[in-house]
Amino acid sequence: MNAVARPVPGSMSNAAYEQRLRDAVMDAAPLLNAKLLPINVRSGALNKALAAGLPQLRDDLWRYADLKFLGSAALAPLPASAPEQLATAVSPLLPQRLAGYTRLVFADGRLLPSLSDPCPALDATSAPLVPERTRHERFGWLNDAFATDVARLRVEGTLRLEVIFLATPGTARQAVYPRLELAVAANAELVLVERHLGTTGAQGIINAATQLYAGAGSRVRHLRWQALADDAQFLDTMQLALDRDAQYQLTLLQLGARSARTSMRASLYGAGAAFTLQGAVVAGGKRTLDHSLLVDHLAPHTSSSQVFRAIARDATRIACRSRVEVNRTARGSTSSQSLKGLLAHAGAEIDLRPQLEILTDEVRASHGATTGALDENMRFYLLSRGLDADTARALLEWAFLEDAVRGLELPELRAAAEQALAGVLGGHIAQQVLA
Amino acid sequence: MSTPLLSIQNLHAKVGDREVLRGIDLAVGAGEVHAIMGPNGSGKSSLSHVLAGKPGYTVTSGSVGYQGADLLALAPEERSHAGLFLGFQYPVEIPGVNNAYLLRAALNAARRKRGEAEVDAFDFLSLVKERMRLMKMDEAFLSRGLNEGFSGGEKKRNEILQMLVLQPKLAILDESDSGLDIDALKVVAAGINSLRSPERAILLVTHYQRLLDHVQPDRVHVLARGRIVKSGGPELARELEQRGYDWLLEEAA
Repeated sequence: MNAVARPVPGSMSNAAYEQRLRDAVMDAAPLLNAKLLPINVRSGALNKALAAGLPQLRDDLWRYADLKFLGSAALAPLPASAPEQLATAVSPLLPQRLAGYTRLVFADGRLLPSLSDPCPALDATSAPLVPERTRHERFGWLNDAFATDVARLRVEGTLRLEVIFLATPGTARQAVYPRLELAVAANAELVLVERHLGTTGAQGIINAATQLYAGAGSRVRHLRWQALADDAQFLDTMQLALDRDAQYQLTLLQLGARSARTSMRASLYGAGAAFTLQGAVVAGGKRTLDHSLLVDHLAPHTSSSQVFRAIARDATRIACRSRVEVNRTARGSTSSQSLKGLLAHAGAEIDLRPQLEILTDEVRASHGATTGALDENMRFYLLSRGLDADTARALLEWAFLEDAVRGLELPELRAAAEQALAGVLGGHIAQQVLA
Repeated sequence: MSTPLLSIQNLHAKVGDREVLRGIDLAVGAGEVHAIMGPNGSGKSSLSHVLAGKPGYTVTSGSVGYQGADLLALAPEERSHAGLFLGFQYPVEIPGVNNAYLLRAALNAARRKRGEAEVDAFDFLSLVKERMRLMKMDEAFLSRGLNEGFSGGEKKRNEILQMLVLQPKLAILDESDSGLDIDALKVVAAGINSLRSPERAILLVTHYQRLLDHVQPDRVHVLARGRIVKSGGPELARELEQRGYDWLLEEAA
């Protein structure tokens, strides 16, 4: 690993950042709905964001994130456009509907009722879900402070839900704050497809926050799909809390944005809670996609499993720091991490850092990380069967990513994920790989 | 004999600095089956690889004509489109790419090249299933990853299955018989025999004579130290079985 210190992730001084935040509050004040998030929550979050400042040089949690865009992007949320106008603008951008799923569409940080289904679970006036955040989740505080709307749901029984967050390129330098709060009741079952699409253009940022509480015995399957345009700047905070025997399965498809940083923290605080993460990241051009994933085992017999697959092309950098902590209170827990990277070009970079800290006994844990290029023998085999070079590459990359989607049991999720990946891999595989 | 399907002249090739082919001359006509035999390290696999265009080999002199064209000028996939097929000695495992998908992609790649429409899914399945019956393969193989967890014998049968689906003009089978028990050997041999026809040719690369009991070659060539040191009819294979390779190596030295 490169030991040389890298430049400060954001090229702005803390004083300038602080000023930018204070200006944003002035601009944002009329837009902030105190019914969604009370003023004391918002100001408390803002103060924490101010105290935390920007990530500093050598901060191991942020060393690979590209935050230079913060130097020029505005932080105040985009004022609301007329909903009808927005609905007309975004409806052509909407993906095909998933049959049997309730759809919610948010554009530029606001719910568009005309494009959304009625959803009894949706209740913006119920108590907000605002998790404790640390500096690792520092941009979540900005979302707490500036969110203009929220997909706040209380899930009982069974729900299949599709939430689409769209951002449109505004002319002003503005930010969009997608926000998802999910409280899944005990023994409830949620299938969630969350998509982030569109862009604010190079001068804006999209700062998303997803917080999810999975009640005792609940089951959540979450396909999270980031396919923003490749000029977008994406900051992303996910906080997950798993109660006793909750099962949470997250599939992360990170395919878009010029700069993306996902900070995830999963707290397994109920005995027997099970967390699985499957991540597939593919990017080319000159982009930086950074991931910092924390899993805290806090209760006995919790389990976590992470599979992360990344393909970097051209001059793209993909990073993943995946840290699992098995605390004293988590006897008998199991954990596995498998991180793999595929470098498609000499100028690409992949930095995978599995980390494991075990503070108790009777724990089964494994972790591994490898990065390499495509296997030449496999490539030649496919060429010898008449596949063109592009298709052979795409097919091998497909096989490489397959680890990250093979755990998707629901056929509609699997088909959606496979289609998304086949689409970015190119070659002649897209139309046939699902046959 | 008119122009041979495959015509190799004075072929020299290197891997790195090591010369692995040192002047091969060979002509294979349509309708013929030739066996290339020889001890380990004699250059048998190198010859197969060079003909299929595997990266890592440098042809330093000589030429290879195939259907009147310069084979060495073609990319590996173009050789496949032109009807050349290599049955691998060690077929790779590619979990995540299923067998049916690869077969169909391979078939369609060749069809696209010929300007034909892609094969219909039902026609494809009935074709594959028929060929699988011949190879005594369970249909469950189709939905598995390419050679994933296959036994040695299953991999070899899968190679022959691919050959039967692609129907090549020239099949080069690199030790398709190694590691097979007698029942599997008979199945593989039956598969190979079913491809024999007046317009196709087969090059059997093998260490042992036993495959040749089931697939009767027209010609047998012995390769040693990168050269063909002896050629003959099927009786040469039987002689090798009895006498081994040493007498030939001594003769050639």
